[in-house]
Amino acid sequence: MSLLSLSLPLRARIGRRPMLAMGLAILGGFVALALLAPLIAPFDPILQDAGAKLLPPSWDHPFGTDNFGRDVFSRVLWGTRIDLQIAVLGVVFPFLIGTGVGTVAGFFGGWVDAVLMRVIDVVLAFPFLVLMLSIIAILGPGLASFYIAMALVGWVSYARLIRAQILVLKSQDFAVAAASLGFSRLRIMFRHLLPNALAGSLVFVMSDAVLVLLNGASISYLGLGVQPPVAEWGVMVAEAQGFISQAWWITLFPGLAIVTLAFGFSLTGDALADLMGVHE
Amino acid sequence: MIRTLTRAAVLGLALTTAIVSVAEAAGMLTIARREDGTTFDPINTAQNVDFWVFSNVFDVMVRVDNEGQKLLPGLAESWEVSGDGLTYTFHLRDAKFSDGSAVTAEDAAYSLTRIRDSELSLWQDTYKIIKDMQTPDAKTLVVTLTGPSAPFLSTLAMPGASIVSKAAMESMGAEAFAEKPVGSGAFMVEEWRRGDRVILKKNPDYWDAANVSLDGVEWISMPDDNTRMLAVQAGQIDAAIFVPFSQVAELKKDEKLNVVINPSTREDHLLLNHEHAPLDNPKVREAIDYAINKQAIVDTVTFGIGEVANSYVPKGALYHLADNGARAFDPEKAKALMAEAGAGDFTLNYLVDSGDQTQEQVAILVQQQLENVGIKVNLQKVDPSQTWQMELDGDFDLAMNYWVNDILDPDQKTTFVLGHDVNMNYMTRYKNEKVKELVAAGRIEMDPAKREAIYHEIQKLAKADVHWIDLYYSPFLSVTQKGVENFGQNPLGRFYLEETVKTY
Repeated sequence: MSLLSLSLPLRARIGRRPMLAMGLAILGGFVALALLAPLIAPFDPILQDAGAKLLPPSWDHPFGTDNFGRDVFSRVLWGTRIDLQIAVLGVVFPFLIGTGVGTVAGFFGGWVDAVLMRVIDVVLAFPFLVLMLSIIAILGPGLASFYIAMALVGWVSYARLIRAQILVLKSQDFAVAAASLGFSRLRIMFRHLLPNALAGSLVFVMSDAVLVLLNGASISYLGLGVQPPVAEWGVMVAEAQGFISQAWWITLFPGLAIVTLAFGFSLTGDALADLMGVHE
Repeated sequence: MIRTLTRAAVLGLALTTAIVSVAEAAGMLTIARREDGTTFDPINTAQNVDFWVFSNVFDVMVRVDNEGQKLLPGLAESWEVSGDGLTYTFHLRDAKFSDGSAVTAEDAAYSLTRIRDSELSLWQDTYKIIKDMQTPDAKTLVVTLTGPSAPFLSTLAMPGASIVSKAAMESMGAEAFAEKPVGSGAFMVEEWRRGDRVILKKNPDYWDAANVSLDGVEWISMPDDNTRMLAVQAGQIDAAIFVPFSQVAELKKDEKLNVVINPSTREDHLLLNHEHAPLDNPKVREAIDYAINKQAIVDTVTFGIGEVANSYVPKGALYHLADNGARAFDPEKAKALMAEAGAGDFTLNYLVDSGDQTQEQVAILVQQQLENVGIKVNLQKVDPSQTWQMELDGDFDLAMNYWVNDILDPDQKTTFVLGHDVNMNYMTRYKNEKVKELVAAGRIEMDPAKREAIYHEIQKLAKADVHWIDLYYSPFLSVTQKGVENFGQNPLGRFYLEETVKTY
């Protein structure tokens, strides 16, 4: 089924699918929070207040304050920007690279395919996290390194997914017909095959976003991602670990935010899979 | 079905008995700490985790008292110093090693030769002052020095200079000895499960065994702070050390527990790289010192338990000078100094050990405090295994570190921090010829009053130059069950377990 055929009745379809509606609502909610953070946040997320340390949740500080007297609610809000950015950028680059490589490999086959697939095997031969950690270790801690590492490591899944789709599609009637009409290879590849092969990848994007989000949080937790004092959920959980027995709120709320956002991506991914008839 | 149930019941019973028997092992004191030790070869380590355990397995010639104020007889019952300060004559007490053999002057001479000459030794330089050792009889050791040395007696109290059995070391070899040593301390190593625990049992041949109450000690590694505290709260262990500052208030409320706060010689400080502009400008260093609110650090990081540090010589330690010209928090003055220095805008690179909560907290505070006076700070989290090398290479502007004195005398730390020797003044690259000369003079001055004056002068000069930034002093924190008495450590870190009593 072509993706294009979805466009018209999309709203109607979403309406009849509560999972999708809920998933999109969660994601939309987070996007809104990220955009409105400066307006909603009652405090500066990095402003320390020695007089307001480790306060439990209250009207002034709905999520309490941390050990520096920073408002946890404001930090979680501002953290939305960073974590959404992680989820999006951490997926976009692997998706683009993987789609390109997969399409070329699937369409041309032969030695092109063989070479590209061996490269993929090499990347896959290393455990994902180990490879990513070593790339970040070489490039130095920071989000930019994280995105580069994700792009270098994450694209293989997309490449394999797309390649498999293209292999199936290129022998189907409409592709053969396009070829017999004398369309150029580029046109067949990108106008006819790719749009039809994308559905699976788009669904995978959603579940991948969950993994990337958790990866980003763990990388920051290990001190290799976002650097202090910037508010990021994983960093917040890590920083407050020592206070978990007397100030649970510092870890709980950013933790909940991670879970909720991940849940939003999962729901949307599952519902999209249903909608597009993709079964992973 | 019934059989399964029975089996489960029997297993359950067995488990309960096992747990009860562990908890009730009379006289066995279980202490949880953050990490396991690395060796039992006294000369082959400089780590507190090792020193703190084997200072109960070995004995030293002279001991430091529990208050960290003076030297007491150890294996040497008494000693005389010649008028020129070059010859020390030690008279050993009747003591035995844990294998029953007598401790002789030859063992003492052998152990001190080892720490001076062995390639395994990390302390060779400290003991190069020993020129010659003679053993006129089994209980007398005569040490001749290459020159007078005020700190010499103190260095004999360092756990690294523990007296080992020459016969055992030679027959076992250094490697095997490091696993199961033969010493003359109050306890002996029964079993060492690497990475998990060290089990010590009372040494019946210890010279003062009659006054040792405990049957044994188990040092258990529990790396996670929360787990360690929960274990002691649940009564699974008798004591835990390295109590996080944040949990002290809560533990104090627990009626079953005793929080032990022992003064220490620990000082946390901020290293400045004097070779990196604009930190080579004394005005900029002064501005940074004025800009950092140490009291805020004490309040946030140590929950008010620590104390603002004014000098590299810790409060309570020998020759500490209270009035050395330390700068109070004054951001306005910092800004004025910055303007005067004309350094313009600059960014400092601050090395932080990743995963070290204390360092991270201090870094976040310092970052904001310096930003308030217009200095941008870039925090660079680095794996702890790399920071030391980066500091040696000068690959930093700011970095945090701490020091706990190993010996009573200030000379060791002074030499390391201000003596202008191989480590570039503790990686700061600080230079001041006057200070260098004073450090050398202090080492050989035998008159205590004159010596005190020298160390006071050093503290003033170093502070005026902002050789580094003193942050805070903090005590050793441990927690025990209520029935554990006399548990604690002296300011150098040694646990006096030979005096500890478990009453339950």
